[in-house]
Amino acid sequence: MTFNHTFTTALVALRTNKIRSILTVLGIVIGITSIILIMSIGKGAENLIIGQISGMGAEAIVIRPGKEPSGPSDFADSLFSDSLKNKDIVALNKKSNVPYLVDIVPSVIISSSVSYQGETYRPSIFGWSAKFMSEVFDIYPEEGVLFDDIDIRQKASVVVIGAKVKEELFSGSDAIGKNIKIKGKNFRVVGVFPKRGQVAFFNVDEVVLLPYTSAQTYLLGIDYYHEIIVKAENVQAVDQTVKDIERTIRESHNIADSSKNDFYIQTQKGLVDQIGTIMGVLTAFLSMVVAISLIVGGIGVMNIMLVSVTERTKEIGLRKAIGATNKDIMNQFLLESVLLTVVGGIIGIIFGVVLSLGASIIMTKVLNTSWTFSFPVPAVLMGLGVAAFVGLVFGIYPARQASKKSPMEALRYE
Amino acid sequence: MPLIEIKNLEKIYHNDDIATSAIEDISLSINKGEFVAIMGPSGSGKSTLLHILGLLDKPTKGQYFLDDKEISNYSENELAKMRNNKLGFIFQSFNLLSRTTVFNNVKLPLLYSNIKQSLWSNLVLDAIESVGLSHRINHEPSQLSGGEKQRVAIARALVTKPNIIFADEPTGNLDSKSGKTIMEIIQKLNEKEGHTIILVTHETYTAQHAQRIINLLDGKIESDKLVDRRHKAEDHFKK
Repeated sequence: MTFNHTFTTALVALRTNKIRSILTVLGIVIGITSIILIMSIGKGAENLIIGQISGMGAEAIVIRPGKEPSGPSDFADSLFSDSLKNKDIVALNKKSNVPYLVDIVPSVIISSSVSYQGETYRPSIFGWSAKFMSEVFDIYPEEGVLFDDIDIRQKASVVVIGAKVKEELFSGSDAIGKNIKIKGKNFRVVGVFPKRGQVAFFNVDEVVLLPYTSAQTYLLGIDYYHEIIVKAENVQAVDQTVKDIERTIRESHNIADSSKNDFYIQTQKGLVDQIGTIMGVLTAFLSMVVAISLIVGGIGVMNIMLVSVTERTKEIGLRKAIGATNKDIMNQFLLESVLLTVVGGIIGIIFGVVLSLGASIIMTKVLNTSWTFSFPVPAVLMGLGVAAFVGLVFGIYPARQASKKSPMEALRYE
Repeated sequence: MPLIEIKNLEKIYHNDDIATSAIEDISLSINKGEFVAIMGPSGSGKSTLLHILGLLDKPTKGQYFLDDKEISNYSENELAKMRNNKLGFIFQSFNLLSRTTVFNNVKLPLLYSNIKQSLWSNLVLDAIESVGLSHRINHEPSQLSGGEKQRVAIARALVTKPNIIFADEPTGNLDSKSGKTIMEIIQKLNEKEGHTIILVTHETYTAQHAQRIINLLDGKIESDKLVDRRHKAEDHFKK
């Protein structure tokens, strides 16, 4: 029998049991929809994050304590590592050690809420240098001023707050000069950033900045930093500066073997790679979940194909009696299950593309991010391939069962 | 030279290690153009014999010459090919594909044949015309009466222009009037078109349309006689 006729025969058989066919491929539809969604949204998120990192300036180099994280769970470790201290800053600041360094700022992160006269809010609190942040993100207070190096040296209890923080705590009234409470300590608001939204990693509107020295002393009671940000003279000097930094800190920490480093250095390039890795791990994990759903869907297809083979025993017998070979029958049922899953795959692709397009519209229009939607061609091709493969794998057994039926037994079957 | 010749044919079924002999030591020959009825009570082995003659089943022992070829050692694929171009089947329960038009039902054997596609349409239309159903070409089986369904099945058996047509209780599911029409068509195929017909039935009246009746009992030939007074069909299809 020609492929054309086998195809028509399979199509007619599937149309005969429309509802059943649709319900059978639902598992495949959901599986393929998920593949498209994961791949498309994963790619969009990666592009968004990478785009934002690049906005921070390619000259920035970040030094973090602890071992370089190789997966998402390792990130927590670096927050509890105490290897980066003031002596490292002093060492790095020496021109002879790191010649291309133009700026260096340590930072600490405080997890707490802030309050003002009964209003509380949970912002992102950073002990940092306000000047450095302004330069990096190109954002300057619309009211008041930034705290400066003198405030940092004197451990002044001052903060610069984001627009959202002001709105939440002061709901429109003046904030400059008022004292807000962080962990029970008073901090005077000296500056307010204008509304800006998401820049690089964090939302500038939700930020509370204070001198890192004040944060270390009054809020955390620690003498180490969560990270140190170094700015190189220019992009070309980044690689050399990274080497200089590593050598300097190893000397300062007395580490001979580079594999024993108790700190790690990230450039934007390293960060981009890392995010790619994390997204890859995440995508792989989600893909496994999808694979399970596809297996379940495939078993559903196999189940229905077996029912269909039994139901159509007489038809199989008739076809064999009038000259169909085992191969003809095998091909007919195999094509039927492949057709079933491929149609499911196509429906899944349509759903997946529509849903990820919808997600990208929500991300750009509603959440105001620079999300980009691109038609996920590799995902679509992969979805089709996977669907056909599932049909083939789970169709073989029922098709073999059908082809093995003896024509006489099949005709006798009632 | 006979078209069909079987020698010392035996068929034993094994069910749960119990061997049941369906036919024992049957030898017979059927010539081209003959109309033979195989009769016998249920369990006599008549269906088994038909299945073996129709290449749907293989004998346990014995030889079967079809068109002078010993087919006992043929592969399943070769048998399927022979069924397709040499044999036609008519069943008691019609076995039409539901939700498939008369035209497509009749076309079915051609899908598995080597006949050129360009000829298919004419072959199908001719076969449908020869059973007088040209006006029903686009109907589906559910829209047809029992007699009409069986006529579609006959057209399907005819479409590859086979040498031998096997009919297994073709009137068993029909009222007597439709049954009569079917027998008339079968008789006409034998007399006018020269098809060899092998008919299995347990009704004497139906069997008497044939030229020769073979009676089976307990898997053996009890009698093999020519019919004295045949039922003759009026020619319904002279229009």
